[in-house]
Amino acid sequence: MAYVATRGGERAIEQSQRLFREEMGTITAERVAEIRRALPYLIDRVMGEASLYDEDLAALALAQTGGELYEAVLLLRSWRTTQPRLAVAAPVTQEGLFTHRRISAAFKDIPGGQVLGPTLDYAHRILATEVLSDQAYTPDPVEPAAQPSPARQPSVAAWQAENDLLSAAPADPTAGNDIPDITREPLLFPSKRAHTLQSLARAETGGVLALGYAAQRGYGQAHPTVNELRLAEGEVMVQHPRGTTFSAGRVKISQAEVVNKKGTQLELGFAATLGWNEVKVIAAATLDLNSEGAAKGSATEEEFFLYHTEGVESSGFCIHFKLPHYVTFQSSLDAMRDAKTKKNARQAEPAE
Amino acid sequence: MGAYPIPSEFEARTNATYEALMWALSRPGLPRDLPSAGQAGIIETLIDRECAVYCEDADMAELAARSGAVLAAPEKADHLFLSQPPAQLTGLRQGSDMYPEEGATLVMPVSLGSGGTLRLSGPGVNGEVTLSLSGIPQGFWAERTRVMRYPMGFEVFLLDGATVIGIPRTTVVEVL
Amino acid sequence: MSLKSLTKDWEPMSYGFLDASAKCEIRRKTLKAIAVPGCQIPYASREVPMARGWGTGGLQISCTLINPRTTVKVIDQGADDSVNAASIRRFLSRVSGAPTTTDTLKADLIQSRHRIPEEKLREDQVLVLQVPNPEPLRPVQPNMSIARQMHADADYGRMWLQLYEQIVRSGRVMQGASYPSLVHGRFVMTPSPIPRWDVPKMHMAKHLTILSAGREKRLHAVPPYTRVEPLVFDDVPYQVEEHGQLTCTRSGAKGYFMNEIPQNDGTSTYEVSDSELGIKTIQKADGDTVELGDTWYQDGEMTQ
Repeated sequence: MAYVATRGGERAIEQSQRLFREEMGTITAERVAEIRRALPYLIDRVMGEASLYDEDLAALALAQTGGELYEAVLLLRSWRTTQPRLAVAAPVTQEGLFTHRRISAAFKDIPGGQVLGPTLDYAHRILATEVLSDQAYTPDPVEPAAQPSPARQPSVAAWQAENDLLSAAPADPTAGNDIPDITREPLLFPSKRAHTLQSLARAETGGVLALGYAAQRGYGQAHPTVNELRLAEGEVMVQHPRGTTFSAGRVKISQAEVVNKKGTQLELGFAATLGWNEVKVIAAATLDLNSEGAAKGSATEEEFFLYHTEGVESSGFCIHFKLPHYVTFQSSLDAMRDAKTKKNARQAEPAE
Repeated sequence: MGAYPIPSEFEARTNATYEALMWALSRPGLPRDLPSAGQAGIIETLIDRECAVYCEDADMAELAARSGAVLAAPEKADHLFLSQPPAQLTGLRQGSDMYPEEGATLVMPVSLGSGGTLRLSGPGVNGEVTLSLSGIPQGFWAERTRVMRYPMGFEVFLLDGATVIGIPRTTVVEVL
Repeated sequence: MSLKSLTKDWEPMSYGFLDASAKCEIRRKTLKAIAVPGCQIPYASREVPMARGWGTGGLQISCTLINPRTTVKVIDQGADDSVNAASIRRFLSRVSGAPTTTDTLKADLIQSRHRIPEEKLREDQVLVLQVPNPEPLRPVQPNMSIARQMHADADYGRMWLQLYEQIVRSGRVMQGASYPSLVHGRFVMTPSPIPRWDVPKMHMAKHLTILSAGREKRLHAVPPYTRVEPLVFDDVPYQVEEHGQLTCTRSGAKGYFMNEIPQNDGTSTYEVSDSELGIKTIQKADGDTVELGDTWYQDGEMTQ
């Protein structure tokens, strides 16, 4: 038996990491800055799933992991663990958002107007292959509208509630420290409303999409209409211990309202996340819309979708199957062989 | 990352306090040494803004509040730092069958080594263990047995200076 | 009050990685786990610099307990040299400066995946077991909310039924590792995926066992001198793996849990799973001075 086997394991680990990192080479501040500048939507996705809003750290995580998204999110989440919490920001309301894009599929026009904002929705998806032959691609400049659209607008659901089409959720007076926090308490069921929304906000985009899509295709009870989709910036207002309130900066936010007709009222599903990620919030709002009364064990049941869209947990568990399992396997083999021996012995007995 | 990190004084103190509390509760009736006398060390080891705490001593209440904990009435508190044994036990938090861990933790002063004798048995006790202490009124232990229905219940830490003894809800306490 | 009074001096990393509030929570939850043996206690479970499913639950317990005088041993599948054990050991030492050992007898804190060492643990030792799935009821009830209610009601009927059906179908209980066990006569727990061989070591043991599932955010504990009884029927006794008569081809150790090594000729040889026990056995045979502790099994039979 190798006395120095322990060191052998450690050497193998070290070299395996070197092999991985060799491909990315030296990481410089310039590289991180370029990732941040060139890939804002990827940065947003990573920040949302990490529930940590810092574009530089997100870009660094992407640089350090070579774009392995699950690794990048884990890197940010575990860094987050080490950070003290200094304050709880004031709630950001829909009507207070600095809105860049706001559309509704429910109405042709809405109070405040349909604001298309930045999107590729109507773009023809054609690769700019000329770039590869050294012809830089420079997008045409934006021509500002004669009349800028209002920066702050009410939600469509608020209008519907005024017109008795939808019963607005009762205002939740919980504030500050008292708001349940999924990063400091375990998720238990029935889930607290804050925990549900927080879990969806930091859920893995692909996972939310898969389950949300299943619900949209017909495995859910409710068919979503996008009442409002909004890309915006929110002001992070915190209170200084001296009592003054100040802005700690702005964060990009996406949010979606989806509705479904239920009797004479509309029912509402809602989701929001840090960063701009439209697919995620529409899919998540669909899950929220479908969760009430969903059958235990169905994909639209809260416990099912909240557990299974947690990207750090699901990806970690998935890759853990690479770890050796030979002790448990041995234990199962032993039971199998013994059962087989017993079975053979029974068959060998003469019939009575 | 170069040299190994060195624990701050706070870290070293709370680490050692927790170790004593953990072993005290794991081995009911066996005294453990805390790094410092009194309740303050236990508060800084266990209490933060997630807790609802009842403190009888004003200094302790201030310490608990500084950690961000909410100061609460005894029946709402998850941790009670008492200057004397509670007058009654029926109102204390005992958790539920679903969440027995929501039962309270009581920390209270006693004098160890003299006074009435108790015999303990249950998980963590190798057979049985006896200890002598004073400062707990007659009937406390019988009342404890009467009000708790396992797995619901509460834990008691008995504190004499820098010595702590743990009595989890699983411990059977007989007054000899 | 100023902002500064609410914060602490900047550190690139807290001692033991976890910050003070994470440790506070784990301390509180572990105390309750000790107070209600075998009951799964939910906790927030912070992300740590390892992937979920790779020992993050055990790691959070170890990071909370560790100090510069804690001697740490880490094993995976019984072996100190397994890559993930080496990785966790290196991390623990890196964030705490704690000394490490491979010798079970010298360790204060043992973090393990899937095994309990063969040498008996003492009253001053803590065993931290990594747990992938803390819920023994999952095979009969995957929904955690319903399973929690079943624990609250001590409703273990379906668990028994499952074991009974296995006996009817296969002539024996087919559970391999993770054998469901009743703790202090009240809660059915999973002992984590340790082989059946290791479960009796938990019964009335001298050491403290803390089991922690980071991904599933649950921890439970078995205090010293606590009853841990595998679920069995009176007339179908508990059966550990038939390893009592096997001999390790490398060390000559006999009567312990073994790893089966398939051979080219279709047969198998065996190596002792507790790698340190194998090393000690070889050292002893070589005439080195080495302290071999008392083992739970002697001549392939459980003592106690």
